[in-house]
Amino acid sequence: MKAFVRDTVAITGKELKQLRRDPVSLVLTIIFPILLIGIFIVIVSAFRATTHNVPIVVADLDGTPASNALLNQLTQSRFVHVTQLVQTEDQAYQAVANGQAIGAIVIPQGFGVALASGDAFVIVATDNSKLTSSQFVTAAVNDGAQALVNQATQEGGVSFGLKLAPIEVITRPLSGRPPTGDPILPGFLGMIAILGGFDDIVNAISRERERGTFPRLALSPVSLLAVYSGKMSATVVLTILRTALMLLIFTLYGLVIRGSLLLIFLTTILMAIFTLSVGLTISSRIRGSATLTVLEIAMTFPLFTLAGTFNSPLLLAPGGTAIADSLPWTYGNDALRRLIYLGSGFSAVAGDLAILLIGSLILLPIAILLSKRTM
Amino acid sequence: MSIKIFLSDSIAVAENEFRQFRRNRSAILISLVVLPFFFTAALGAGQGGAGSTYSPTARIPIAWVDNDNSLASVRLWQTLATSPDFRNLVEGYTEQGALAQLGTKRIYAVIVVPKGFQNDLESGNQARILLYTDDSEPGMSDQIESTLTSYTQNFDPNVEVQPYLSQLQRQSVAGVGIVTKGATFAGFNIGLTTVLAIVQIFAGFYEIAGGMSREREEGTYARLLVSPVPIGSIMLGKTLFDILLSVIRTFTVLGLSVYGYGARPNTDILTLLALSLIIALVTMGIGFVVAALKMGQRAVVIIEFFLILFLFAFSGLIIDSNLLVGVSQVISYLLPFTYAFDALKRTVLLGRPLLSLTYDLEYMIGSIIASYVIAFVLLHFSRERLIR
Repeated sequence: MKAFVRDTVAITGKELKQLRRDPVSLVLTIIFPILLIGIFIVIVSAFRATTHNVPIVVADLDGTPASNALLNQLTQSRFVHVTQLVQTEDQAYQAVANGQAIGAIVIPQGFGVALASGDAFVIVATDNSKLTSSQFVTAAVNDGAQALVNQATQEGGVSFGLKLAPIEVITRPLSGRPPTGDPILPGFLGMIAILGGFDDIVNAISRERERGTFPRLALSPVSLLAVYSGKMSATVVLTILRTALMLLIFTLYGLVIRGSLLLIFLTTILMAIFTLSVGLTISSRIRGSATLTVLEIAMTFPLFTLAGTFNSPLLLAPGGTAIADSLPWTYGNDALRRLIYLGSGFSAVAGDLAILLIGSLILLPIAILLSKRTM
Repeated sequence: MSIKIFLSDSIAVAENEFRQFRRNRSAILISLVVLPFFFTAALGAGQGGAGSTYSPTARIPIAWVDNDNSLASVRLWQTLATSPDFRNLVEGYTEQGALAQLGTKRIYAVIVVPKGFQNDLESGNQARILLYTDDSEPGMSDQIESTLTSYTQNFDPNVEVQPYLSQLQRQSVAGVGIVTKGATFAGFNIGLTTVLAIVQIFAGFYEIAGGMSREREEGTYARLLVSPVPIGSIMLGKTLFDILLSVIRTFTVLGLSVYGYGARPNTDILTLLALSLIIALVTMGIGFVVAALKMGQRAVVIIEFFLILFLFAFSGLIIDSNLLVGVSQVISYLLPFTYAFDALKRTVLLGRPLLSLTYDLEYMIGSIIASYVIAFVLLHFSRERLIR
């Protein structure tokens, strides 16, 4: 046992020494997290921007004070920018069809009269190939209409046949945090653990095979179990470093980490070990390091969608949810979100951690066996 | 040199590429099987088929706590429970009990109808309901809130069975109807535009840049460069080889999408093929430039990964490029892939003819020419250095 531990430590030391000598891998370990957070900031800052200036055209076919009031609301909107006032409905639609505007708003003739009886409507045509922008157009019209309703209610004397929505929904998030894009951040930590695990397997096995040093290592007086154990220990050390770096970036970004740091580290380590097992299984069939890396990257991108990295897996189509439920990574991402965002304790994530552990315990011996046979 | 010799050299290079490709099972697997199948199947699993519809909130377990126990609150429960959007409303919880379960994955939201709900409605005041959500699930709180609001804003407590509301009616703000026009698209069709491009970018870049760096590492690259075959022929030969693979990939993605997931692109197959090949050529051009910079295979793979991440951030895949701010918008407008995704959306979703997208096409073709010229010059200097 003592010899096994000594050999494992020696192999771990060798792996880390090799990484230190490979500046590309070393830089990658640092650059990946920073790049990911950079991308997150770009996207969040776009969503959080105070003004959006989505170009729209408006056709006011009514020309009454009521339609003017709505037009005023639209021109003051922080979502849209009225680029043109057109005379006809067709001109408005044409502007959208030609790509001159993302939305066209038509205030029909009789709007003012209908408003008094509570039957008013406006027509909103959007270029729905621009997914986010078209939603901003609809939101601007909704806000404008709601503001019109509120204004009429406040003025009281106005004889508009308007009413407020009968029921207001007041939302209270469990975390008590303001609504932001931050719940995605724990998913990024999971992403780093997965990508890091895949990269480690490429470094640990495939590149060693290419250099021809793997058979030598296997023939050395070190047990094969100690070799794999050492390589796995190196991944554990690297995962701890990557997790620490990500948590530091999260903190600098302003995310308050509520849960136990120990449990967060444990979750990322289990995710990395499971990834290592998958990578080891694949590497027994695909031997080139570059090919293996491309394959793993190609596999991980769709996996991110299905394993709940960016969106809750509960919102996927039924087939997607079933796949998500069968992927141990989903449970890892879920546990990270609960730990970091909600501050849940061990009991809340024990099931998730158990699934990751069982997944690794099943896959790892198979992976080692396959890897030995193809050595 | 005659054009005939130039072309025969190009074909010889293409043949050589095919021969090497045929011998490499992993390359065949990744290029023609894993990338097109895995990406399309993942899209289908995530979004459902193009013909199928599903409500994201339908299966989410949500606790219903009625503290009012009035006719109005029962009618609201009936409205939600019989709707296609809230099929998993769980009753029998107290408010405290339900809140204690939130965050344990047994329930993901709690709807609480407070005391005085019916009184408020009867007296003409705005009634309130509380929605507690597990906001650690990204996107779920917003989804439940907006779906619930669409039912409550048109709720009439005087009606026993609420009329079924169309999407149009649900979007309407009380007092002002909002009639939406403009085609709406299935999530799968939207995703198809992304998958088609990403598959070509992923595979094309690795085949050109990765292939040349592999040749360099194997030592055959220098021999190819100093052979009497002109650099133009080498580039054309490799391009021809990759174009054929791109055609196969395009048909694989489209075949699986149309016959497997019921996608109905709003354009003809030639337009799709042409766009797909233009995207492949843009990628190949960048691949040639990277290859000419003498990068190793590992560096190529890393650049590929960064390229894909860049595309997700700046090419309008997650958020429309016109909504980006500051430097990110400038980067977005400089990336040729932004125009590629825009062109794919306009053709596949809106049915616009390819030739009407002049600006998108001009930018993409311009970047193809620019990158091929840069790569040619760099490769030419490499050859000169090798000969000397």
